[in-house]
Amino acid sequence: MKNAILIVDDEVDMCWAMEHILKSQGQPIVTATSGAEACARLSEGYYSLVFLDAKIPDMDGLDIARFAIKLPNYKPQIVMISGYHYANDPIVLHAIEDGLIVKFLAKPFTNDEILSLFHEYWKNMDLKQT
Amino acid sequence: MSDNQNIKDANIHFELLYNTLLDAIPSSVLMVDDKLYVVSANQNYLLKSQRNRANTFNRPLAEVFPSVILENTGLEERIRTVLRTRMAISAQKMTYRAPGVPIRIYYYSILPVPFKQVMLIMEDVTEQIRLSEEVRRVERHLASVVESASDIVLSTDMDGRVLTWNSAAEKLSGLSSSEVQGQFFYQFCEVGQKQTVEETLRYINRKNESFTTEFGLLTPYVSNNVGILISWVFSPMKDDYGQTVGAVIVGRDLAERRKLELQLRQSQKLSALGIMAGGIAHEIRNPLAVCSSAAQFLLSDDVDWDFRMQCSMKIQANIQKASAIIENLLRFARSSLDTEMTEVNLCAVLKDTAELVENQAKVQKIKVKLLVHQEIIWVTGVAGLLQQVFMNLFLNAINAMPSGGSLTITAKILDDRVVVQVVDTGVGIPLGDLDNIFDPFHTSSPVGQGTGLGLSICYSIIQQHLGSIRAESQLGEGATIIVTLPLLIGS
Repeated sequence: MKNAILIVDDEVDMCWAMEHILKSQGQPIVTATSGAEACARLSEGYYSLVFLDAKIPDMDGLDIARFAIKLPNYKPQIVMISGYHYANDPIVLHAIEDGLIVKFLAKPFTNDEILSLFHEYWKNMDLKQT
Repeated sequence: MSDNQNIKDANIHFELLYNTLLDAIPSSVLMVDDKLYVVSANQNYLLKSQRNRANTFNRPLAEVFPSVILENTGLEERIRTVLRTRMAISAQKMTYRAPGVPIRIYYYSILPVPFKQVMLIMEDVTEQIRLSEEVRRVERHLASVVESASDIVLSTDMDGRVLTWNSAAEKLSGLSSSEVQGQFFYQFCEVGQKQTVEETLRYINRKNESFTTEFGLLTPYVSNNVGILISWVFSPMKDDYGQTVGAVIVGRDLAERRKLELQLRQSQKLSALGIMAGGIAHEIRNPLAVCSSAAQFLLSDDVDWDFRMQCSMKIQANIQKASAIIENLLRFARSSLDTEMTEVNLCAVLKDTAELVENQAKVQKIKVKLLVHQEIIWVTGVAGLLQQVFMNLFLNAINAMPSGGSLTITAKILDDRVVVQVVDTGVGIPLGDLDNIFDPFHTSSPVGQGTGLGLSICYSIIQQHLGSIRAESQLGEGATIIVTLPLLIGS
C-alpha cells in the first residue's frame, strides 16, 4: 500500500496551508477534517506521518492518536500541531512520554518547521501487503 | 297615721332611694358639707378606702382622707371654692399610694349641690392610665425602630400622599417630615416616576401583596433631576379591620450595593474570560497559522498569479476571523461600563453570546444549537448585563459537559414574557442543590476553579430586569436553566 501524509484539521484553511507546504516534497497527501474521517482514513490506508490537530469538534486529537497507535498493521508517527496547547504543556509532555505523539508544534508555525518535521519523521517506504 | 309619720316614711323612702342611687354609681362618691364634714359616702368609696359608715359619716374630711392627699391636691381649698362660687371643678388628677398597696390614680370632680354641699366624685383610672402608658411605650418603641432604621420607611394614604417620613428619608432626601407631609410621594422621586408610583399603589391594593421596584429618589446631593437609586418595597397598610388604607414604603439606598455588585460582576466576568481563554487561544492561533503560512508562500520566487491571489485572500479572510473573535471579546469585557436600561434585542444578545462561547464549546466537543426562530425580541434592559447572564449560563452548561454533549438555547414568547431555556446534556444538578444554586458562594466546582458567584450574579441581574430565573434538572440527565423576562411594552 502506498505511503502517504495525513493532515487532520477541522479548519479547511489549515489543511490548505499544510498541503501547500508539503506539496513540494512530492509525497501523496490526504486530508481529514473530522475525527471520524481521520480514523477511517487511518484504518483503510497507510500513513507513516500524521499531522494532527489537538481539538477537533467530534473527537479529541489525543483520542485519534490513541486510535492510530493501536492500528494492527502499521504505527504512524504523529506530530501534533495545535493552537490550544503550549510547547511544554503537561498534556503534551505526557502524550510524548506515553508514545502517543512524537513531536508537538504550536500554531502559528513557520513553513520550514513543518518541512523539517517531515524530513525528520517521514519513513520512505511503502507498507508491504500481506 | 299622722302627717308627721307620713313625712318621716317619705324621708326614709327618699333616703333609701338616694343611697341606692349613690351605691349604684361605679365611682366613689362623697357628699361634703360646708364645714368640710363628710355627710355621706357611697358603697364604692367605703370599699375602695376600706372604711365603714361609722368612721366616715359625719367625720371631718381631714379625718377621712389621708393628710398627704389633702396636702398634695389642696382638696379642702377646692371644695371651699366650689361652695363659694357654685362652679364645678372637674377632671382633676389625684394619686395615692397606701402603705403596701400599688399606686392608684383617680380623676375627681367637685360638683356643687343644693343645701351647701358638694359632691366629690372620684374615678379610679389606674388601669386606664397604665394601659395608655403601655400603648405610648409601644408607640415610642415602634417609632424609635422606624426612626433608627437606616432604610427609608414612609407611609402614604391610598392616593400616595405622604403620612409619615422617617429620619433616613429626611437624610437622603434632604426634606424634613413636615415639608413632605400631605405631598404626593412621587414629587420627591425622579421625573417620570409618577406613573410607576401610582401603578404600584394600585397593584398592591388590588393584589393585596408587596411589590418590589427600583427608581431614583431626588436628593440635594445630586443635581440635574437625577436621584439616587433606591430599591423600594411597597406593602399595603391595613387598619384594624383589615382594610387597606394606604401603603408602607421601605427603600434602601442601592449605591453601596450597586458598587459591590459592579465589582462582583466585573470579577466574575474576568473569571469567565479566563475560562474562555483556552478556546480563544485556539481560535485565534488557527487563523494566525494560516496567515503565517500564506505569507511565507508569497515569499517564494516562483508563485503564480492564481496562487498569489489565493494566499492574499486566505490572509485577508483569516485576519477577519481572528479580529471578529477579538471584537466579541472586547465587547463582552467592556460591556459592564454601561448600566443604562435601553431597548435590547434579546435575539442578538443570545446570538453574540453563543458565538463567544462556541470556541470553548468546540474544544470540549460540545455542539451549540441556537434555536431562536424570531429575528428580534425586544426587552428592556442592559445588553451587557444580559450578555453576562447568558455567558455565565452557557459556560456553566459547557463546564457540566466535560466529555462533550450539546448546549441548546431556545427563546419563546409567552404572553407578555419571553422564556429562554438553556439546556445541556451534562452531569445535571443534584436535587438538594436545585434550591441553592442561586445563592452566593454555592459552588459545585472544585476549590480554586469557581467563585460560586456566577449564578447569584445572574439572579441579581435578572431580578433587576424584573425577570425570573430557575433551574430544572435530574442528576446525570443534564440541566435546564429557565430565564423569563418581560417583553418591552408595546413591542
